[in-house]
Amino acid sequence: MENDSLTVSVSELVALTNQTLEYAYPSIQVVGEVSSFKVNQSKFVFFDLKDGESSVGCFMTVFSLRMPIEDGMKVIVRAAPKLTKWGKYSLTIQQIRPVGAGNLKKSFELLKAKLSQEGLFTLERKRLLPRMPQRIGVISSVQAAGYADFMKIIEERWGGMHIEVAHVQVQGEPAADQMMRALDYFNQVANAPEVIVIIRGGGSSDDLAAFNDEQLVRRVVASRVPVLTGIGHEVDQSLVDMAADVAASTPSNAAERLVPDKAAMIREVTQTIRHLASRTESAIDQLEHERKSQLLNMLDSLEKETTKAIEYLAHQKAVLRARDPHDVLQRGYAILRGKPVIGQSLELETATQIVTTEVKDVREK
Amino acid sequence: MSGKSKTSIREQLEQLEALTAWFESEDFTLEEAMDKFREAEKLASEIETELNNFRHAITVLKKDFSKDS
Repeated sequence: MENDSLTVSVSELVALTNQTLEYAYPSIQVVGEVSSFKVNQSKFVFFDLKDGESSVGCFMTVFSLRMPIEDGMKVIVRAAPKLTKWGKYSLTIQQIRPVGAGNLKKSFELLKAKLSQEGLFTLERKRLLPRMPQRIGVISSVQAAGYADFMKIIEERWGGMHIEVAHVQVQGEPAADQMMRALDYFNQVANAPEVIVIIRGGGSSDDLAAFNDEQLVRRVVASRVPVLTGIGHEVDQSLVDMAADVAASTPSNAAERLVPDKAAMIREVTQTIRHLASRTESAIDQLEHERKSQLLNMLDSLEKETTKAIEYLAHQKAVLRARDPHDVLQRGYAILRGKPVIGQSLELETATQIVTTEVKDVREK
Repeated sequence: MSGKSKTSIREQLEQLEALTAWFESEDFTLEEAMDKFREAEKLASEIETELNNFRHAITVLKKDFSKDS
């Protein structure tokens, strides 16, 4: 047999093929529909990825499965193709995610049900945010509109905080892992923030897919620092929102819920001072009223006493008048002065005259 | 500096709340009210000044979160 082509063993053929594949396709993205999905020993995932004409076997670890997948779902995988030593062509999956709003929603609902059953979203778990935090950690992309909105409102409403910003991707494959690293950083740093804020503006369900990543959700739940989220628009609610201690409707709303409004506080303080002034004036008015009442009562008593005294005086005058000796003399009586001894002089006073007489005789009546 | 302003505002607000509570309490007397009112007015003015002037200290971390450290 002429031999101008390479002759190799079966094992060498497999190794050569894998070398070629590794060189040509170290990582490739493939879109297809999931079928025959199964998990072995709770560690290893096997399924077929197919389209209308072809099918290829896929393998991955449960750890890499960040969102629930089921048969019939259209997915996109990042994988490395290889030939097994039994000659089977397969894809070793590095990342997988559902494609299309319908599949994303289905995956979302599956994961939501699973985590909800574990109690990750219960109200009892939620912690209150401090009223006036001094240190906060922000996880966001500094180039994103959501971040700009959040920081604008924070600056307008309040001041005096130390804000550390972890710049991360907030969409796409790397986003979930980067946000987890940022969460770990803020949880482990020496001077930990009082609140961690995760911010991302609006987007499609595909754009927001990272916020439904199972590992990221679990990391939010495990955070010892309370987490506030401001993700997407008002209608969007991700699993990270559900796991957070407080979920604001938007990045701007997150700023409003995090810090007080200093303008409102100044108005409140001004109002308080007015109220205290009013309270003091009321007390003064009341005291004045009481003093006036007391004074009027005293005057009233004084008037009554005076009236009584005048009446008494008038009565005494009448009594005295009745006993006035001049009145008696006017009625024809006379006042006798001196001792009635025979031969002595006596003085008689009448109303008009004073007469001196001599005593001639004295008889007992 | 920002942290110091923040703490003092919190304390000042608590003091103002305590004064307001005194005005509403049975301990209120007209003799003490004038002094306490002046104290509250002064506090309110300080709070307003601080709120109008204090700023955040913002740091964007240099750490690269795209890789495990």
